[in-house]
Amino acid sequence: MDAGIEELLAAGRHDRAFDLVVPAFQDRVFRLAYSILRDRAAAEDAAQETFVRVWKALPGFDGRAALGTWIYAITRNTCLMELRRRRPTVSFDDPDSAEASHAAASIATGPAEDPEHDNLLRLLDTLPRNQQEAVRLFYLEDRSYEAVAEQLGMPLGTVKNLLHRARKRLMELAQPAEVKAA
Amino acid sequence: MNNLNPLPPCADYEFEIVELGEGSLAPEKARTVRAHLESCARCRNWLSGFAEVDARLAAALPRHVLSADFASRLHARLGSESRRTPRNDLRTAADEEYRRTLEALRLGARRNAILAGLAAGVVAIGGLVLAPNLLPDAGSLLASLTAQQRLIGCGALGGVIALAGLAWSTMLGQLPTLRSFG
Repeated sequence: MDAGIEELLAAGRHDRAFDLVVPAFQDRVFRLAYSILRDRAAAEDAAQETFVRVWKALPGFDGRAALGTWIYAITRNTCLMELRRRRPTVSFDDPDSAEASHAAASIATGPAEDPEHDNLLRLLDTLPRNQQEAVRLFYLEDRSYEAVAEQLGMPLGTVKNLLHRARKRLMELAQPAEVKAA
Repeated sequence: MNNLNPLPPCADYEFEIVELGEGSLAPEKARTVRAHLESCARCRNWLSGFAEVDARLAAALPRHVLSADFASRLHARLGSESRRTPRNDLRTAADEEYRRTLEALRLGARRNAILAGLAAGVVAIGGLVLAPNLLPDAGSLLASLTAQQRLIGCGALGGVIALAGLAWSTMLGQLPTLRSFG
């Protein structure tokens, strides 16, 4: 945690601390939300909602967890609530649920944000949700395993394993699909 | 995606090949893995395919950034928000319940103390009034006392009864009440 933020929180100066929290975390919160929601506008809304919740709860933050860990947990919860709001009958609790994966893919506003949308991204949509999130976040965070682990609240080894399995699976899926396309 | 090879790499080197490609492998292990790659076409092809997937994902995944007005919109929204969170509401309710409980206990203790004092006074006065009839010998003794001596005796008797009540209630582990003596 930023030492300045920590000192301000310890002194009970929550508003001043919050002023430092926003610029320190807004980009990562947004990228995390984007990796889960896969929609720019929804991710920005979720980031706003996250910081509102952080602002409300900051006086109760007890420092037992790192501030970043706490903020990313709020971000993930905010995003999962948004996914549930859109499709309340689907359980997103099971990260390997194929149904959740497909539902998450189908409720996104659309994958073709880039007209040259790579076929690999369509294959990525078929992977389990936790693998998709890890892959998106990994590249958004300039291939930082540590950043992904921190933001997804997972051990580093789990993140490495997830990413390895995801990219290996994409290799397996890509060749037949592209041969068929050719 | 011509480099993709569906054949998996040698199991012993699978993770280390990826780490070598990402430049995160320790130098000692890197030498071993490089030596293996020189002699294993299957692992070389797999690494090539993995690197292609990695590069294509990095290029294809959109890298959105937050709107320039994100912070100003957030602060505008916070201006209309109340900082009372559900957690704070709960805490306030618990504090209020605790305060009410303490107040009730205080009132109960005061009422019981008054009742106990009144009871002690009634018993003492009653004893003094009835003593000449119940104990004829004591009647002459009392008759010989002055009003001041009777008052002191009455107070002493009341005090003894009150102390006995306190001792009794302490033994029972509760505040003195009339029921304690029942």
